[in-house]
Amino acid sequence: MKQIKLGIICAVFMMLMAGCSKNVSKPNDENEHEAINKIELVFAETGGATTSFVIEDPDGDGGNPPSRIDTIKLNSNKQYNVTVKIYNIANGVVKDVSATVLMQATSHEFYFIPSGVSVTVQKTDKDKNGYPIGFLSSWQTAGAGSGSILFKLMHKTALKGPNDGPNVGHSDIQLNLPITIK
Amino acid sequence: MVLSGVVMDASNNAPLEKAVVEIKELGLKFITDIEGHYHFYNLCKGSYTIVVNHMSCDSIKYKLTVQQNIIQNFKLPHAINELENVSVNSKRDLNLNTIKEVLSSKVVDATRGQSLGEVLSRANGVTVLQTGSTIFKPVIHGLHSQRVLLINNGVRLESQQWGSDHAPEIDPFIAEKFTIIKGAGALRYGNDAIAGAVLIEPKALPKGAQTNAEFNTGYFSNNRQYVVNGMIESSPVKFPELSYRLQATYKKGGNARTPNYWLHNTGLQEFNYSGAVGLRKEKYNTELFVSSFNTDLGIFIGSHVGNLSDLQNAINASKPTQNIDAFSYTIGRPKQNVQHYTIKSKSQFYLPNNNKLNLLVSYQKNLRKEFDRAMLSNRPELDLDISTTMADVNFETAPTKKISSNIGIVGMLQENVWAGSRFFVPNFRTQNIAVYSIHNYNVNNWMFDAGARFDYRHLRTYRNKSDSVTAANRTWGNASGTLGATYKITPNFKWLINGAYAWRAPQVNELYVNGLHHGTSSFEIGNANLRSEKALNFSTQLKYQTDSSWQFDISVYNNFITDFINLIPSVPATLTLRGAYPTFRYVQSNAVLRGIDFSIHKTLNRSFMAGAKTALLWAKNSDTKEWIIQMPSNRIEGDITYSFANKILPNAAIELRYMHIMQQTRIPTSIADYIPPPNAYSLLNLDFSSDVAVGKKQISVGLTVVNLLNQTYRDYMNRFRYFNDEPGRSINLRIKLKL
Repeated sequence: MKQIKLGIICAVFMMLMAGCSKNVSKPNDENEHEAINKIELVFAETGGATTSFVIEDPDGDGGNPPSRIDTIKLNSNKQYNVTVKIYNIANGVVKDVSATVLMQATSHEFYFIPSGVSVTVQKTDKDKNGYPIGFLSSWQTAGAGSGSILFKLMHKTALKGPNDGPNVGHSDIQLNLPITIK
Repeated sequence: MVLSGVVMDASNNAPLEKAVVEIKELGLKFITDIEGHYHFYNLCKGSYTIVVNHMSCDSIKYKLTVQQNIIQNFKLPHAINELENVSVNSKRDLNLNTIKEVLSSKVVDATRGQSLGEVLSRANGVTVLQTGSTIFKPVIHGLHSQRVLLINNGVRLESQQWGSDHAPEIDPFIAEKFTIIKGAGALRYGNDAIAGAVLIEPKALPKGAQTNAEFNTGYFSNNRQYVVNGMIESSPVKFPELSYRLQATYKKGGNARTPNYWLHNTGLQEFNYSGAVGLRKEKYNTELFVSSFNTDLGIFIGSHVGNLSDLQNAINASKPTQNIDAFSYTIGRPKQNVQHYTIKSKSQFYLPNNNKLNLLVSYQKNLRKEFDRAMLSNRPELDLDISTTMADVNFETAPTKKISSNIGIVGMLQENVWAGSRFFVPNFRTQNIAVYSIHNYNVNNWMFDAGARFDYRHLRTYRNKSDSVTAANRTWGNASGTLGATYKITPNFKWLINGAYAWRAPQVNELYVNGLHHGTSSFEIGNANLRSEKALNFSTQLKYQTDSSWQFDISVYNNFITDFINLIPSVPATLTLRGAYPTFRYVQSNAVLRGIDFSIHKTLNRSFMAGAKTALLWAKNSDTKEWIIQMPSNRIEGDITYSFANKILPNAAIELRYMHIMQQTRIPTSIADYIPPPNAYSLLNLDFSSDVAVGKKQISVGLTVVNLLNQTYRDYMNRFRYFNDEPGRSINLRIKLKL
């Protein structure tokens, strides 16, 4: 019986040793997030130049607030083809994650809701169910002015329909982007 | 004529449960309840022979003449060889003079298939902190999480207990006895039981060449949940010193339904098993216990908001909009996956003069994964791996003496590693060493106890920011103690008074958390400068139990907490690319929690019994004089039971239970909540239970209707009260088969 008891104690201590080997002292990098922390909006003016505007929050959720939010500057009475690109930056490495979200297109949708400026936005890409996504869109500006664009990426697993309002699902991105049209 | 009384252990006057009191002439038997109480109604005048038996005592025979109603108590002497075996499983001497409640076997049976939190909430003064319809955390006198110790088969549960959405990883099927210690008194198990402790104990392993098996099954109509549980235990004829038990539970439930809609993704699945093997020798006994708990829990999709404006949208909708109103067993994201493993070796060596040496070594591993909505990968957002090793050496003097003592030393090593795609708490290693000494003194009708404990704790955290690892150390040391007395006014009327000092080092999440909390749409920020939390607890209890008619129990408590750690909302909100998040920070203040628990029962006649109970709580921040947020509101309960018996149903009972939960009006004015506490509500539950005589086999059946009137309500202690109503009516069936 002594041996059995000894065996039990040994087993427990072996597990204890195994527990130690998992490297408490070598933690993961807290700055590595699998989250969107950089967004780029690329505006190609019909018959004009291509400009891009960037939003960045390199340390991810929490920590410091977003470090860069560009003002979108557009010309009046012009048509733009707009492409959204989203990235993950971790320790200086920038990874384009647009394709990953595009693969989950049936559960995502972008929204661009202008206020204070006259812009009409039309999403031009569609998921496999024929519902809009918003990586690609067409923007038509009218007169000059300044205001903001409520820019949202909604996550709507099992909820996405053809004509959803901007509050269906949960927010993956929600930003108020300043905009000036001259 | 009525014959009634209490069966006690002659050595220490403790009531003996499950003693068999038999009237030989009439062939009537009564099995005593938890208070050792028995009764026989409608006896004719005459002389009877009473035989009292208990598995761990010598039986006694007693002749008595019944001329009128008689109260007769019995004291059973312990069989010499059996004494040790009983105390292996009962540590009741160690917290003698604390307010405690043992769930009756009737309640334990009626709650089979439910989660631990739901089971414990049947005790007065115990409520639950809920996250949706699947996650229940026990709350004792307004406090929960690290302030409530859960002692599972002698081992203190160590897991990621800090989250209010982290349910205890214990399968209630493992246990036969649930003891709730209310107030700081569980010195034996830790310095940090500021609210109390729960002892979850399996029944003793079989002995004397017997084999038993039990099969339980249950069905819950609301979420179409089914549960199966099987147990086999044996003590072989050829080797009666050896005994073992194997036990397993499987549970699967789908979406819950409120009276008006289904809640998408609220299913659960659980698979648990355990095994124990024991050896009893003349000089020692030893037991090895292994258990595994595995669960998948769906989180209601409509509660998983992205940011503050999503939360506002959810609150403003009278019925969840982010929902699929249909039944399904499927569990998708968001969800939790939790595994908990325990291995324990417990030995007891019998020393001369009935003294004992106890040795307990345990190892626990807890793996917790929390999944948000799928985003950029299938990795869990939170992935935590915590392992805990404990060793406890304890010396116990003979309990029969006037003064009995219990002295011990406990060591603990705990390590946590995170791996998810989001940082929440850092890696850490904790070492804790403690010594304690607890003494009981019995004289005449008084029972005194005094205990002291000293703990030293070291915490080392490791953090990595941009590939540079930094380590930080914190240490704490402090004493804790208890002092208590019980006076037996009469054998049925007890007065208890207790004072205790407990303290708790801040937990790693309270110190260093920095991140988005899954599902709560809140950002939590720790405070590295927190001091330890200290509690001075005073309580008193009057408990009266006449032998067949009246029972009452009134307890009053005052818990003065210095440096009470609390998570409170703070401005500004945290700005992220996902939008703004409400932000919560850990702060400290002084607090006073006062309350009264009262219960009364009256046996009206042979068929009817009625009872009522109430739990009242006042929790104040004594610095700001404001009420403390998120405390259970006052509640009252009433029940009436009708018992009957016939050939097929030898012991049937129908119970109707009414509960009224008041609106919480004691809320802070300076801390804004998103919506005011929900309205008061009342629920009716109906329960039928009986054994059924089918040949020689014993089958017990039970049928419970929960929320009989299909009431629509929300509860202040459910963190999902912002999003959805509570589940509606459920018809629950349970069957127990003993072989």
